[in-house]
Amino acid sequence: MAKFESGMESMVDTYIFETTSLLEQLDQILIKTESESTFGEDEINEIFRIMHTIKGSSAMMGLENMSHLAHAVEDMFYIIREDKPDISDTRTLYDLVFTASDLLKAEIDIVQDEDTPPTDFSEHMRRIRDYAAVLKGVVSAPAPAAEKPAVAAPADAGEMVEVLTSGGAGYTALVTFEDDAVMLNLRALIVVNNIMEKCSSISYEPADIENNSDTADFIAKNGFRITYTPVESSGAEEITEIIRSTTFVKNVTTEQLLAVKSVPAASLTTVKVMFEPDCKMENLRAMMVINNIRDDCEMLAYYPEDIESDQATAQIIKTDGFIIRFRASIPNEEIYRIIGETPSVRSVDEINHEIHADTAEERPEMAEGQSPAAVPAAEAAEPARTGAQPVQQHQSSKKHGEKKQSLISVNLSKLDQLLNMVGEIVIAEAMVTSNPDLKGLKLDNFQKAARQLRKLNSEMQDIVMSIRMVPISGAFNKMTRIVRDMKVKLGKEVDLVFEGAETEVDKSIIDSLNDPLMHMVRNSMDHGIEETAADRIAAGKSPVGKITLSAYSSSGEVVIIVADDGAGMDPQKLLTKAERNGILTKPRSEYTDKEALNLVMLPGFSTNEKVTEYSGRGVGMDVVKQNIEKLGGTVSVDSKLGQGTSFIIKIPLSLSIVDGMEVSVGRSIFTIPINYIKESFKLKPNQLLTDTDGHDMIMIRGECFPLIRLYELYELEGAQQDLYEGIIILAEADGKSACLLADGLIGEQQVVIKPFSPLLNNFGVKQNGMSGCSILGDGSITIILDVSNIITDM
Amino acid sequence: MTYDTDVQTFDTSGGEVLLFSIDDVIYGIEIKYINEIISYENITVVPKVPQYIKGVINIRGQIVPIISVRRRFGKEDIPPDERTCVIVLEFDGSNQVGIIVDRVREVTMAKPENICATPTHKNVNANHYIKYIIEDEGGIKLLLNCEKLVLELDK
Repeated sequence: MAKFESGMESMVDTYIFETTSLLEQLDQILIKTESESTFGEDEINEIFRIMHTIKGSSAMMGLENMSHLAHAVEDMFYIIREDKPDISDTRTLYDLVFTASDLLKAEIDIVQDEDTPPTDFSEHMRRIRDYAAVLKGVVSAPAPAAEKPAVAAPADAGEMVEVLTSGGAGYTALVTFEDDAVMLNLRALIVVNNIMEKCSSISYEPADIENNSDTADFIAKNGFRITYTPVESSGAEEITEIIRSTTFVKNVTTEQLLAVKSVPAASLTTVKVMFEPDCKMENLRAMMVINNIRDDCEMLAYYPEDIESDQATAQIIKTDGFIIRFRASIPNEEIYRIIGETPSVRSVDEINHEIHADTAEERPEMAEGQSPAAVPAAEAAEPARTGAQPVQQHQSSKKHGEKKQSLISVNLSKLDQLLNMVGEIVIAEAMVTSNPDLKGLKLDNFQKAARQLRKLNSEMQDIVMSIRMVPISGAFNKMTRIVRDMKVKLGKEVDLVFEGAETEVDKSIIDSLNDPLMHMVRNSMDHGIEETAADRIAAGKSPVGKITLSAYSSSGEVVIIVADDGAGMDPQKLLTKAERNGILTKPRSEYTDKEALNLVMLPGFSTNEKVTEYSGRGVGMDVVKQNIEKLGGTVSVDSKLGQGTSFIIKIPLSLSIVDGMEVSVGRSIFTIPINYIKESFKLKPNQLLTDTDGHDMIMIRGECFPLIRLYELYELEGAQQDLYEGIIILAEADGKSACLLADGLIGEQQVVIKPFSPLLNNFGVKQNGMSGCSILGDGSITIILDVSNIITDM
Repeated sequence: MTYDTDVQTFDTSGGEVLLFSIDDVIYGIEIKYINEIISYENITVVPKVPQYIKGVINIRGQIVPIISVRRRFGKEDIPPDERTCVIVLEFDGSNQVGIIVDRVREVTMAKPENICATPTHKNVNANHYIKYIIEDEGGIKLLLNCEKLVLELDK
């Protein structure tokens, strides 16, 4: 069973994307207000709007349960906004909203899974409504509307009043009767009699039903239109219900009247809003526009009217535009700006004031119950009549158009394809320019053209990469929520600090970073930070713990550090534990402290004695490690007992393409990323030193560096072993330097990193300083060296 | 890492099996694992991995690790000749691994009645590389358990 209304499938992506970002926004607001312990009007309005939009779009997608839950939250904030109750129990409020947000997020995750039935949120909705009732009770104890928040529909109606008018509450109902009913004029009269006592004023059309039987035909053809104002104790719903239950009534369409009757039409400004041609769900976008400007308008009306509930209006808006009439409490320019800044709005055109002289007559008619369809008809004619204004109109349209069209959203999979394609082009380029057939030929023009091609390709790469870069702050911000929840649960006081959140990382990396980051932050919260503030004070630290998330980029890598200032880890304890779990692979005495710390990332290791909700099952850190290795990165642990623990993640900045220097060692070809190489040279006898253990060192300009023989490191046969015959490469990573011995340099080339197969990852190729492979121009394979791993592991 | 080593219903329904030989012994692999068979070509050595992993090769842009079945069975490698083949297997829909065999023979249909279970003695087939024994008019073939053979790490 599909969960969506038919025809909605194409919008699922848009819906999920928008709702997810709205929920994230919601979390941000909640966390901010909670930490500042203030609830400003702006925030309340913002939450209200978010919930309102989710409610609308969910309803449109046919996701009733989500829509209702959002509605319940919206109702609650409606009360908070309107009645401004003195909220004493903010804890409950935050919990309710956070839970609602979580439930919605979880539901979004399963929304495309047709096998999972929609979740029943009624329990949580009940809690929200109970709380809302309490809030309501705080301000107006004996108010007749005490039950109001519990009922969905009336709240809607109340809101509509607020949207449209600052006074007046008239409705118009179009009543149609069963096809086989006769004497329709009398049936209509019965309807009028039935609702008479519930209405403070009532008029109908045709008016002379009582004594003119000809009106029966008119009603059969056009329906019977009643215009009424309900008495205070009853609402439009009640009256609609009465009409509906009258015998022979087939259908009732109730519309709220625009209360513009008393307003001189000329004082209203009319604008036509056009949306981006392919933005979809135009009606909801129009709703967002209305939401955005609602508070700044004394008077507001729009066409089509039922944008919230009738998705057919999307088509009307798409073709004819969305027409808004308003009298603003702020300068009109401000309103245009707000409308213009609403997502997907392409243009805002003012429709000249003067034409209101023409439409002025139409307004009162409308108020008396004419179909609102009269408005667009008039409006459509207007541009033709307003020849005096076209210049201004044109300009404003153009201005907004340019601004909005400078941003588009693109499906990530397309970018992935593009990146793959660029990678393939780089390989193909190498296949052409270093083709074996060209060996030994003197091809000046060819080389020139090839250089040009290489330059263009590398520019294209840069652009493609930059398209995919997003700041890491998105991933960091998600952690605030986790820290917040755990603070409450664990009763620990912890500050979460961000450093370098503006660092840009490939989008696909960000996506895969969420889980590992979450695990690490949880670990730090749960195990890292001391159990109680007293422990911290005893250790001479501030009672409030600190978890720092930092990111920076260095030589082609992004380094992300999750650090806590907690108790730290004791290598000896870790070893004991690992020994007991039987995961040591060599005698205990042979483990260095660093190796001991890295034991925590082995499967089946958990130092915490008890399993908590958050961590301690021994599955956390090895999952982190696996996930990071999938991205071609590495994780390491650093910990000082009593001072805290850091997890250091290093991920290649660009996922796929590096400039590399190819070197030969025996029969193998390795690629060293060029950003690690400082220089390469032939060794001179006076540069070589040997320490007392027989280790070679090389002296360069007064500095001494250790020598790593690649053939020795990788146990390769047939390599050049004579230091003076081979080539020495001085490489630097993470502030450490070393000299690498290779047989010879082959050349510089851009290579596309392909990850090792999972089979090879099992054997720790990453730990042995190999970050991936690449295919060279002649189809052979080169192994890319992870210099920082080689140097730091010495 | 765990792999699904479920024997499915091969023993009850039989199926197509690719036969290859190492020395004089004939082995079989269920056809569902097999992507393609290519001739032995230059293998790029990957340092610091167990000896039975010979290295990686480039198959249409994919880097595929290559396992020597001889090494896996505790035999010495022999120099490749023109009959030496690489059978490319695929697991989980994307994870490709090639195995080097002396020569590929044929595809045969294993009938359920010809399939027998392996003995369960502790010294026989201790590493469980052999899933079933197939005996028909063509002789005896050992059907290999691909997941164990390829993916299981050496203890």
